[in-house]
Amino acid sequence: MNLVPRIARPLFWLALATAATILVGACGGSATSSNGPVTFKGTKKVGYSAPLTGQSALYGHAVSQALNLAADDINAKGGVNGYKIEMDIQDDGTTVPQAVSNTKSMILQDNVVALMGSVTSAQCLAESPIAKQNKVITIDATCNSWQLTTESDIVNPYWVSIVPNTYMEGTAAGRLAASLNVSKIFIVSPKYLFGISETNAFVAALKKANSSVQIVNDPSTWYVPFPTNPRWDSTINAIQAAKPDLVYSNIFAADQINFVKQALAVDPQFFVKYPMTTLVSVDELNTLGSQYPLGMHAYMRAPFFALQNNNPRLTDFISRYRAKYNGEYPSDWAVMDYDAFTIWAQAANAAKSFDADQVVKQIFRAPIRSRCSRTR
Amino acid sequence: MTPGQLLLFAMGGLANAAYLFIVAAGLSLVFGALRVINMAHGSLYMVAAFVTVVIANQVGAGLGFWAGLLVAVAVTGAIGGVVEVLVLRRVYGREHLVQLLGTYAVSLVVAGAVRIVFGANYRTVASPIPGHLNLGGYSYASYSLFMIAAAIVIAAGVWAMLYRTNLGRNIRAAVADPDLLNATGVNVTRLYTTVFVIGAGLAGLGGSIVAPSQAIGSSIDTDVLVLAFAISVIGGLGSIIGSAVGSLIVGMVISFGLVIPATNPFALAFVFIIMTAVLTVRPRGLFGLPEN
Repeated sequence: MNLVPRIARPLFWLALATAATILVGACGGSATSSNGPVTFKGTKKVGYSAPLTGQSALYGHAVSQALNLAADDINAKGGVNGYKIEMDIQDDGTTVPQAVSNTKSMILQDNVVALMGSVTSAQCLAESPIAKQNKVITIDATCNSWQLTTESDIVNPYWVSIVPNTYMEGTAAGRLAASLNVSKIFIVSPKYLFGISETNAFVAALKKANSSVQIVNDPSTWYVPFPTNPRWDSTINAIQAAKPDLVYSNIFAADQINFVKQALAVDPQFFVKYPMTTLVSVDELNTLGSQYPLGMHAYMRAPFFALQNNNPRLTDFISRYRAKYNGEYPSDWAVMDYDAFTIWAQAANAAKSFDADQVVKQIFRAPIRSRCSRTR
Repeated sequence: MTPGQLLLFAMGGLANAAYLFIVAAGLSLVFGALRVINMAHGSLYMVAAFVTVVIANQVGAGLGFWAGLLVAVAVTGAIGGVVEVLVLRRVYGREHLVQLLGTYAVSLVVAGAVRIVFGANYRTVASPIPGHLNLGGYSYASYSLFMIAAAIVIAAGVWAMLYRTNLGRNIRAAVADPDLLNATGVNVTRLYTTVFVIGAGLAGLGGSIVAPSQAIGSSIDTDVLVLAFAISVIGGLGSIIGSAVGSLIVGMVISFGLVIPATNPFALAFVFIIMTAVLTVRPRGLFGLPEN
């Protein structure tokens, strides 16, 4: 399998995201076989409300696998503070109410010592106050709306994010679009916190860099319901009618797969006529395989194939991930959540405590601070 | 909006309507004949989609798809038979809540089994009818036109089965008075099983036909069920013609609603506003018959 040629245009912001992830990747430890049987004081759980079903099932599956692998690796090295770490993964169906219910259940009934951030920003926005109220640290590697870590009434001191936020991604995509010498841009985005936040950043950066660029669809039509009807006829036809020079999108997972597949059925040259700048992950590439169109301006958070060179720890992670999960390649989300979990384990070990204050302090202290991207 | 664009969005609405009707047809047939709201309908649709994708990818997109379609319809029909015998026979005549819970339990079992058998990753299959047509300066997928044709054939086929065959006559008689039909020597128990198998087969046919046009994952059962129920409520549960009209209304509302700036934020809400209005003015739906 050779995925690299399918990404036709290396982007500077891809490089930025990649560089950030290489730093993050460096934090992840490879499992080393223990010299003897490891004894534990007991078991502690780490919770993850996962979209194992629903719109983002593609991502929840990969993240869950990565977290289980990380737990195995951590336990092989003696666990955390002498305790064996067990993942507590509960399906939320990519819905906010179930994510909230899972978070409460994991904190109040399962007594988790840490949480991993969910996939969508809408879910994270709902989970964060619960985690904050109960003083449970959350390590977030996927949901990334900038409001989660910067808006005063939302900020949670126990929320640690290692993912480039929507302002960074939207701004980078906007600057790139402005530099592409295009005059007409069509926007399609999911209608919830992530899509609105990233699209606003895109538009602001685009207009700042090149004020003459015209966005051809009315702002009220930029957004599609999330999750949406699997048929994308309306959007595809609206693009045909508007004839833009570039389509900017941050639709993802099943939505992106359906959109790309249906657009190519309408016209195999669709993405040649209407080039697209879009958020992509290894999951979409794997699912569509050779059907994925060439010429896409893809921005990715942690594509393993772009990170692999000169990073033996990441290479080792990829090998072990594939060995454990039937040859599957780790998606961007798997790479990042593995690192997020490892960061938490390192910090909790260094703090000699599971207390959220102590662990957060350690995360922001050297050496982790010098090697990982993070916002707070 | 130019005439070409009007045609473009109307065709988009038709494709959407065809997709929704293909899914809703079996649901409507089962409710019409058995008065059972089958929450497992989406599960059978999902099983068929997976079976089609697996076979098509093994054999090859063209022949493989058609082989997959036949196998998928047979598999879902067989599952439907088992479900009818093991579950539905125990809930006929009981209140709808019991039927809902029974079929919902089946949907959970099937969803779990699908995840174990087919895994959590999405799968895709190439279209067996590639290519596109150019109408009024815009492109249309040949496969969307095939889906529209398939929806028309299914609607005509189900109507003909109900109104032009002995089986259909018995089904309609069973809806009116099953005891009287039983007294004439017709095995109503077997008739119910037959109807449910046909309904399950229609769910399978829908899953197979839709498979090449979208990503197939373990959640597609619920993705479509809400809109399929909305269509059935608007058109009238149990009415094939009602399902066709309901699909057309919903497909067009979504297609035009999403591209018109003033209506975009409410495009999906309009579907449920229409559903509420129909329920208020005509509770049995536009073409539905009152329950006995």
